[in-house]
Amino acid sequence: MDNSKVIDAQKRFTTTVDNQEELQWINLAKQGDQHAFHSLYQAYHRRIYALCWRMLADKDSAEDVCQEVFVQLWQKINNFRGESKFSTWLHSVATNVVLGHLRKHKNWLQRVFSIEDKPQEEPAVMPELKDSSRPSELDKNIAKLPERARLVFVLFAVEGYRHEEIAKMLGMAVGSSKSQYHRAKTLLREWLTNEGVCDGV
Amino acid sequence: MVSKIVLPQSSKQLSEQELQAQVLQLPTELSPERELWSGIEKAISGKTQYKYEDSQKQWQKAPVAWAASVVAAILLTWGVITPQETLNDSFNGNSQGNINLIAAMQQTFEQQKQGMLVSYGQPNLQDLAPEMQDQFKQLSSAQVTIKKALESEPNSADLLNLLRWTQQQELDLLKQLYSPQWQSI
Repeated sequence: MDNSKVIDAQKRFTTTVDNQEELQWINLAKQGDQHAFHSLYQAYHRRIYALCWRMLADKDSAEDVCQEVFVQLWQKINNFRGESKFSTWLHSVATNVVLGHLRKHKNWLQRVFSIEDKPQEEPAVMPELKDSSRPSELDKNIAKLPERARLVFVLFAVEGYRHEEIAKMLGMAVGSSKSQYHRAKTLLREWLTNEGVCDGV
Repeated sequence: MVSKIVLPQSSKQLSEQELQAQVLQLPTELSPERELWSGIEKAISGKTQYKYEDSQKQWQKAPVAWAASVVAAILLTWGVITPQETLNDSFNGNSQGNINLIAAMQQTFEQQKQGMLVSYGQPNLQDLAPEMQDQFKQLSSAQVTIKKALESEPNSADLLNLLRWTQQQELDLLKQLYSPQWQSI
């Protein structure tokens, strides 16, 4: 995927709600207004949940972590000074919370020996999709990817981060991020082909 | 809504462009099954928000205060009070023994610090806000100064206490920054 596609992804996932209204919510939330904060939650929680679910591939963990994200947001919202779009900033907060969650829940064996996980054999429990009665085949297959390949794929292809940023976030070499992305693409193409499903574009 | 075409099994492999097109069609939003807001509301009630301005001042005041204390204490210890107190039985007038004790203290501190960083998922301190990074730099700088002083005066119990204290400050700061504070959602 070339850079223009990455930019597309970034634009798509960082579209803001009405700027003036959002700014008002942010300013009020900074002053401790929980109603304004609830409005921010209403505007963004589905998007943040989607990020959490895709990165964690587990419905229950994604729900817990989505809650963690908004608790952290409440505590840190004063750090947002409008230097970037709120949605971009919130996505980076959420990404860090998800990665922190994954690190905390790694068992000692994985932590010490950096054991690579295998593709998940059991299909992940899919969350409800907005305005859609059935889950995307791609989402189902992303959830089956090995953890590192899944994280890199979601962060690069879906969230629009650069490999340099991903490498830093995941504590790996830039080359490893690229190879994990390649691995993810190969597995996804293979699985989607085997399922005989291709989205009509 | 994503429209799908079911391909025959013999069809060629999904191309990179087709995969890319599917990525662009992924829904931007998913709805959690569980109602999440009530848990969040409960968690944030009574949680103090991190006030950037106030906390920045606090963070600035605290290290300035202790750094001043460290410097004052070093000067007092170095220039005025000659080392005559012993910290404990292991810290005595035996200079070589005390040098070894200082090295052991440093090693224990490094182990504790690494252990904490691992337990917090190896956070990158470079990602911290500049004022936070300054706190670590000041602590590190204070430790270097105290260790230099200890090279000249290895029998100074006060200097050793100061070193231990700055090390503890660094561990406390790590704990404060990275320790999870809201586990009961």
